[in-house]
Amino acid sequence: MEKLIIEATMNSPRVELDHEKKLFEFSGESRPENVRNFYLPVLDWLEEFSAEVSKSKSNTPLVFNFNFEYFNSTSAKYILDIFKSLYGIHENGTEVLIRWHYEEDDEDMYEVGMEMSRMSRLPFEYVKVEV
Amino acid sequence: MALKAGKKILIDFEGAISYATMERLLNKLRASSDFQDMGKPARKRLYGTVVESIDNIFKYGVGIRGKELANKRAPILNVSKTKGRFIVTAGNMVRNEDIEDLKFKLDRVNQLDDEALKSLYEDIINKESTDEDRGAGLGLITMAMRSEEEIGYSFTEVDNHHSYFKMQIIING
Repeated sequence: MEKLIIEATMNSPRVELDHEKKLFEFSGESRPENVRNFYLPVLDWLEEFSAEVSKSKSNTPLVFNFNFEYFNSTSAKYILDIFKSLYGIHENGTEVLIRWHYEEDDEDMYEVGMEMSRMSRLPFEYVKVEV
Repeated sequence: MALKAGKKILIDFEGAISYATMERLLNKLRASSDFQDMGKPARKRLYGTVVESIDNIFKYGVGIRGKELANKRAPILNVSKTKGRFIVTAGNMVRNEDIEDLKFKLDRVNQLDDEALKSLYEDIINKESTDEDRGAGLGLITMAMRSEEEIGYSFTEVDNHHSYFKMQIIING
């Protein structure tokens, strides 16, 4: 399978999903004009990745970094879908760790992370970013 | 427009709102000194509220170019600051048949406290299909969570089929 790299725009995040380098990251702002069109390739990639991972179980946890500056409510649905997809991998025996980054004074972003973790049942590690 | 003492206007827009217009309005907001002077959490809350307000216009707004509308009124988006509070007002024409649905969603979020809003958010984000539909009000719930006060709203009938919907959200600066 191919890695998936999407460069950031004013209204859509940077996405890096590189299974060979084991680098998985989302960063920036998410309010694309067509949220569904933006996130469907990401969800498709994760589905393919999930199948790949289940063939070759590894003992090293997969670390996914989420470093959102802002996302709108429509994006939130798809971001939760990403976590649900990752939970599938986690449940299949390959540990998935979410690193949820938030700016030190951004309590809202921290709280959303806690909600996402609870809803998806995935373990989150919270990374406070100094500003 | 007459300026009340102490009231500052950050955005005062009236006209059709396309996605490109939204970008321009957000740029204008970011560039304003009142916005830049806000603390980061409040600034993000205001920014998010403006984004969700415009998204709501995209979801419910009736195109104003339709020739069948005799008394058409363009959407508005207004952001002002009074005594350290930021007021976001969004207005757009809606179909009368959509009023009940909008009212239900607005009244619902206005009646709930923070904990109840969180659990409603969870219900809806999990239930809502990922199709690009109107949404079950996730944007309204998010706005209600970020505002200390109720979302104010009104519907003014324009003709037998349309009304002008106005919504006001207050964010503490």
